[in-house]
Amino acid sequence: MSAVLRTRLKIADLTAWTALDAARKLLPEGQGLQKLIREDLFVFEPAEGSRATEFENELAHAIESSNFFVNPNKEQYRFTRAAERGASLAPPEGAWGILARPRGDTSDHGWLERLLREHPMKGLGAIRRARLWWLWTTASGADDRDACYRAVGPVTGSRQGLLVNPHSETDLRIDEPAAWDAVEAFLRAPAASRREAA
Amino acid sequence: MARVAVLQIPGVNCEYETVRVLDAVGLEASIVRFNEPSSSLASYDAFVLPGGFAYQDRIRAGAVAAKLPAVERIAQESESGKPVLGVCNGAQVLVETGLVPALHKGAVELALAPNRAPRRQGYLCRWVRVRAGEGPGAALWTSALQGDRMAPLPMAHGEGRFETADPAVRARIEQKGLALFRYVDADGKLATQYPDDPNGAMLQAAGITNARGNVLALMPHPERASWLFQVPLDSSGAWGDRRRAATGSRSALDGAGPGRFLFESLARHLGAAKREAA
Repeated sequence: MSAVLRTRLKIADLTAWTALDAARKLLPEGQGLQKLIREDLFVFEPAEGSRATEFENELAHAIESSNFFVNPNKEQYRFTRAAERGASLAPPEGAWGILARPRGDTSDHGWLERLLREHPMKGLGAIRRARLWWLWTTASGADDRDACYRAVGPVTGSRQGLLVNPHSETDLRIDEPAAWDAVEAFLRAPAASRREAA
Repeated sequence: MARVAVLQIPGVNCEYETVRVLDAVGLEASIVRFNEPSSSLASYDAFVLPGGFAYQDRIRAGAVAAKLPAVERIAQESESGKPVLGVCNGAQVLVETGLVPALHKGAVELALAPNRAPRRQGYLCRWVRVRAGEGPGAALWTSALQGDRMAPLPMAHGEGRFETADPAVRARIEQKGLALFRYVDADGKLATQYPDDPNGAMLQAAGITNARGNVLALMPHPERASWLFQVPLDSSGAWGDRRRAATGSRSALDGAGPGRFLFESLARHLGAAKREAA
């Protein structure tokens, strides 16, 4: 089980604002987007044979006392230890989400190396990163969300899709709370080619 | 005189030097703001999307600019065969619109993913060597490129790795020669490792065209290598020798640099098109 860090800007997020503005122009008639929030998700995996409890204290201290992960002047964060993270990654009330990751290895080796150099800790095997987009659509039926996802999710055409380019990223839609096991598997698994996926 | 529109989107930063080199090769270049009526673009013979950071690369480089009405209009104009050049951030915009490789009309078939190189991450700024192929864009974009068809050019990007998740797209780009410019080593062989291959792009692609050849998405910056004085003194190869020999001579330093060929080729093409139309 992995520890989890979620960060977002507490100052105005101009990227989220631009995404909201651009996304609204792509939505089909009758669909609306009220709000959009961008978060970064960090998953801290124990090394093989280790447990998260071996590094969580040092990691929590590194997050709280340095700006390695979080700049407290502009970001807010929530760090949850493996035992406290709950069973699932749940969307905020009224929202649904798109979790996007690079198609390549999501483990950031360079960052792990730098973290361990600056904040030595034992048992940490990998840091995986992904981007979370939370969306509040005006119509909340499953079909409405499908339409919104097609309009502003993975880019398939010049006027279709926005938040994810499926040739460099792959995504997991989060309509309901997603089990952490599934999220971890999504972050670890090699991305399938588009032909295979089809 | 052929007219070229250089599209100024908030955040681009190479529009003035692009205009300068277009003027130097005898074209009439104008900066056109992104929010001018897009119908005004119809009067131009060619288009350049310059480098920079359109919309601060928010969401993804090129992602927001690709949805602009002006870019949509340029896409329409390209269907009649008008040349469209995207340099660096402009290339990212063209990829996000699906104008390259455009194997299936309207589909986005590529990404410009973050650079991939051993023990390196993020933005990379250095000179690289590219070699031109013989694909469908060769006549339009490389007619003025002489000799070994290689040129040193500066690159400056964090997201320059041409990539597709569809193996069939990659195969067709290779078969049709759409990767018009590819990274090579000093001997002209395809680059196999960093730094000759600066970003891990598929097919070592530095520039990819559409099947017709009139739209080119190019990651290195030819407009930053269009005068000899722009070539670093410590460059290797013939261009480095030329640069060192020119030291102290203003007129020699103001001569053409290794990236000028692209704009001269465009001017030849547009000149020939004008004569044909007359």
